[in-house]
Amino acid sequence: MADLEIHNLHVRTEDREILRGVDLAISKGEVHALMGPNGSGKSTLANTLLGHPGYEVTEGQILFRGEDITQADPENRAQAGLFLAFQYPVSIPGVSVANFLRMAMNAKREEPIGIKEFGGELRHAADILHVDREFTSRHLNDGFSGGEKKRCEILQMAMLKPDISVLDETDSGLDIDALRTVAEGVNKLHGELGMGALIITHYQRILHYITPAFVHIMLDGRIVHEGGPELVEQLEREGYDWLRSPSNGNG
Amino acid sequence: MATAERSTKRGAARAATLYQALDGRGAGDGRSVDELRSAALEVYEGAELPAWRRSGFWTTSLRDLDLDGLSPRSHAPDAGIPPIVAEAIGDEPRAGLLVQRGASVVHSELDPALAQRGVVLCALEEAVRDYPDLVARYFMSRLTYDRDKFEAATAAFWSGGAFLYVPRNVVVEQPFQLAYAIDEAGTVQYAHTLVVAEEGADFRLREYDLAPDFEGQALHAGAFELYLGDNARCRLAHFQDWGTGQVYDVSTHFVRVGRDSHCTWIPIHLGGHLTRQHLEFSTAEPGADMRHRGIYFTEGDEHLDLFTVDLHEVGHTTGDTVWKGAATAKSRASYEGLIKIVADAQESHTYLQTHSMMLSPRAKVDAIPSLIVETDSVSASHGGTVGEVDEAQIFYMQTRGLSREEAVKVIVEGYFEPIVVQLEDEPLEALVRERISAKLAAAADEIEAYAAAK
Repeated sequence: MADLEIHNLHVRTEDREILRGVDLAISKGEVHALMGPNGSGKSTLANTLLGHPGYEVTEGQILFRGEDITQADPENRAQAGLFLAFQYPVSIPGVSVANFLRMAMNAKREEPIGIKEFGGELRHAADILHVDREFTSRHLNDGFSGGEKKRCEILQMAMLKPDISVLDETDSGLDIDALRTVAEGVNKLHGELGMGALIITHYQRILHYITPAFVHIMLDGRIVHEGGPELVEQLEREGYDWLRSPSNGNG
Repeated sequence: MATAERSTKRGAARAATLYQALDGRGAGDGRSVDELRSAALEVYEGAELPAWRRSGFWTTSLRDLDLDGLSPRSHAPDAGIPPIVAEAIGDEPRAGLLVQRGASVVHSELDPALAQRGVVLCALEEAVRDYPDLVARYFMSRLTYDRDKFEAATAAFWSGGAFLYVPRNVVVEQPFQLAYAIDEAGTVQYAHTLVVAEEGADFRLREYDLAPDFEGQALHAGAFELYLGDNARCRLAHFQDWGTGQVYDVSTHFVRVGRDSHCTWIPIHLGGHLTRQHLEFSTAEPGADMRHRGIYFTEGDEHLDLFTVDLHEVGHTTGDTVWKGAATAKSRASYEGLIKIVADAQESHTYLQTHSMMLSPRAKVDAIPSLIVETDSVSASHGGTVGEVDEAQIFYMQTRGLSREEAVKVIVEGYFEPIVVQLEDEPLEALVRERISAKLAAAADEIEAYAAAK
């Protein structure tokens, strides 16, 4: 059994059905890519996995280590070991990155983390992400550039050490240096801690730096094709059109 | 002296803005303190309990106050510091402390080294006797007694009071602390603080207005005046927390900033049954610079009516005002912020921002910035936001493991934090954070229900 299993997931928002029967299984230590054009339902899946209240699961279930978390509160999913790196991280004025991280780490601990231990981990994570101390004393995402926001997402991921991370369009809006740094961070967490990842993207760019073992292609709310890393190159050459043939039911 | 009667009778026309700046007026004109008292008494006896009404259905009425049921409470001069004050001020080092309980000053202390250098901290009653010339030069020179019954009452009946004098070029590291405490229902407290700082003085001052939780009515009617000389520096904070009793606070605070001087003034309003305050901040000489930062957080059925004035009396002055408020339950808060730049005050530059956050559908917040600019070649503008707790922020924090309740707390505390840190005073910052946190905890269920319903 995989750590994260998604069975026949149907999801709707107020006005329409977006996911129409998604099946996916991800285990710790595995890197998966979820690709697909804009509007195919990738971000909906990411938000639904973490329990966004704006998305309603009408059918199917999400299991995390065998436990049904389909209706669980987002914080319980996070504490169990799921993480979402947001496409558009919101800012929280008045709260420093470091203070926020300490609160988040303490949320899943019995005893609050010691100042020394926290400082050490923060330095380590900041080094991996190439951010300086001043960065962690700034208010969370407040006035951050696009690249800084994404680095901050990965910094949080590095501190919270989830079992499985969902990275929602983390590559969008990143210059090449930032993209490389973010990818390095993900690779390091994958290599050192055996983190599993679901990398959502509609470009191939980030996948030049992070090699997924599994590639899933989503169209119109369903996963229509799956394969290995070779699929990335095929998509780069041929686009998504070949997947839209009537035989896939997505005409 | 001209009078401006702003209280109107029921059914009378309502103006879009309710209050007017003192704009240079003051009662002190060479009359003695006693003469001013008798003149004020006359106004008091002829005045009714006021009600202030503004279009948009805002009314601040004092008519539920049973003034006859209140009396001044006197205490011995060595009665000691009441517990409510001791808890708030802590035991950090200070330059001096003066505490008024009810009608009496019950504790007064001053660092002897500062006394040697000519610093004075004593009851205003004593200062009238011991430093008559100094007091006469400033006392009520920029405060009036004839705008409403409470202002008249304060001028007629003030007792105890505080007087702080910082002589020329005296720099004081530790803060001066003043406290006005009401410790039982039925108390009326008429307070008057006079602060005079000469050229080159540099000091910090905090005033605490405190009451424990009790049942029943009480009144604090206060006057505060601070005159900052040339090339001086002052950091001033007011910390108001009148508890959950029915404490009414009707006060006027005036601060004058002299040539090339700077003053940061941070009032913190954390509780009171009904508060109506006029806070006027004047840059009175070229080069004067003021920074006004304020916080209010109303809860329960509290009613808060704040009027601030950023008054530029001459040119080449600068100001910057930022207020942040939040309201829970069915509390009411009104913030009227006026920038006034008088004729001939060219090259004045100022900005006013007012932010408010609604934490309950039953709460009401009015924020009304306004401008009166009587000259050209100035920059003056205002802005503001009215916010609610944002669901996207809550979800973001939940995905990091925080509960909804914790997330809301982080958002509201974070909203106030940029002002709190400007106190630059760790014990006071800690006190403000603790009180904000306690208020959020008390209102947590309602705030959560409101956020979830949206």
